[in-house]
Amino acid sequence: MNEILLNNQVIVYLLSESILFGLLFIAFVITVGILVGWDFGSYSEQQFRLERRAYLVMTILLFVFTVKFLLLAYFVFAIDSLSLLVPGAMCAAGVISANDYGMLLLFLKLVILFFLLLWMALNRYDLNAKNYPLFRIKSWLFIAIFLVIAIETGIDFAYFGHIDTLEPVNCCSTLYGQLEGANPLPFGLNTMTLLILFYLLYVVVMGAALSSQRILFVAAALLFVFIAYYSVVYFFGTYIYELPTHNCPFCMLQKEYYYVGYLVWGTLFTGTYLGLISSVMEMGLKVEQGRERSVALILLSIFVLLCTAYVAVYYLRNGVFL
Amino acid sequence: MIDDVMIIIENLNKHFRSGDALSKVLKDINLEIRAGECIVLKGVSGSGKTTLLSIMAGLDRPSSGKVLVEGESISKLPDLHISHFRAQKIGMIFQHFNLFDHLTAAENVMIPLIPAGLSMDEVNQKVQKSLKLANISHKTQSTAGRLSGGEKQRVAIARALVSDPAIILCDEPTANLDRDNSLKFIDILGQLHDMGKTIVVATHDPLFDSLPFVSRIIPMEDGSLVSTVPNDTLAES
Repeated sequence: MNEILLNNQVIVYLLSESILFGLLFIAFVITVGILVGWDFGSYSEQQFRLERRAYLVMTILLFVFTVKFLLLAYFVFAIDSLSLLVPGAMCAAGVISANDYGMLLLFLKLVILFFLLLWMALNRYDLNAKNYPLFRIKSWLFIAIFLVIAIETGIDFAYFGHIDTLEPVNCCSTLYGQLEGANPLPFGLNTMTLLILFYLLYVVVMGAALSSQRILFVAAALLFVFIAYYSVVYFFGTYIYELPTHNCPFCMLQKEYYYVGYLVWGTLFTGTYLGLISSVMEMGLKVEQGRERSVALILLSIFVLLCTAYVAVYYLRNGVFL
Repeated sequence: MIDDVMIIIENLNKHFRSGDALSKVLKDINLEIRAGECIVLKGVSGSGKTTLLSIMAGLDRPSSGKVLVEGESISKLPDLHISHFRAQKIGMIFQHFNLFDHLTAAENVMIPLIPAGLSMDEVNQKVQKSLKLANISHKTQSTAGRLSGGEKQRVAIARALVSDPAIILCDEPTANLDRDNSLKFIDILGQLHDMGKTIVVATHDPLFDSLPFVSRIIPMEDGSLVSTVPNDTLAES
């Protein structure tokens, strides 16, 4: 048997994912049944039964989706711990690129994270209304999420099942092109323009949110998350590692860096997703999402402050930039 | 008395399932209660009075059918809204009083006001007013566990009144009281009726049979309303 599948973290992770998938499968079957017979205007016994089941399904989903957030962090932790088993890997960056499924899986998880937050936002709005106005929309969204999670669960097993512990992998020192001399930044940007864009987009995101320019906010937030990723990996990350050649999005998740990566990536993605969802809800459903937007802006501000603080602290300590 | 309809119950059924056995507790109940009316649901234990009262209060949901209060259906309200509905519209008085024995009378009475977010001054004013209405203001600082049955019931009345609800639901309110205390309770109920409250009492106590302020006595049997008896007819008979 593949040595990776016997790793404690991988067993815990795959078992948890399987249990959650089992719960989601039950919720999926019940949801399809509910959607077929749903008629909120009816006061029949059948409709009351469906409403009780719908409540059960919402409770299951809220639980599963909350655990999925935690499992995403655990997934990163698990692959990071596998770097001891995979030759050439020094952190999760090497392990994630051990086969073709890794990056696809990570991307899928980030996409799913967005839709889980969207479902939770819809569910919250739906439960605060008197007549479940979004029940059908959120049920169809759940069905779509379930299908993607089914694929994700399959890829989970394929990924961990196909990590070869004898085959050396490239890790962060070579993976991102620094040693080859190629410019790894998008659009041929240099570091200075990348940083100008980073802070400029942050200001635009804040300004658009505070002035309720929702379309501008969505566009700026999407661009911001893209630029922020490169800014962290190729600039701010080097201050976290205090090493100008260390361009890795994963090492900062390790104990040596006080697990700060979870805070960095968590605030960036959760903040951006929450902001996007609040804008979509405001545009699509015409419901005020002031609290969600405020939380998004606070998270993004924490992210920017945290990144900036690493640079500032380094400069104050050493009197030079990297 | 105001002629507006306060509560409408349409085709209400309540079933409980235990394994394969289906127990039908309420069967096709239809009822209209006008604002300011006081009605008595009479019936032996197990006739469905308490279940009907619980559904009217939004504490339980029907298996099928509709309950409208002031024109709004409450039988499907989500938890958050049903809690608001209860806090604003319903005052409940229970057979076993349901007080916290370690809290004082005043503290028990102020509990329904906690979610309202009022200032402490407003809360104290309402609590004192309510305790006075229920004729128990002399026991404000006594812990509930040290009160007699009659006093506990009056604290329960004060608690039911503190948020000034339009509807008072009483479930066997005199079952644990002696005759004197029962008569005192009925006296307070008469005052509440005079204040325009809509009152529904579920009881099998004969003391409620010929009260002047009771407009209808509705016998219940095996989960069904047998027939509605106007109180004057009952008194004549």
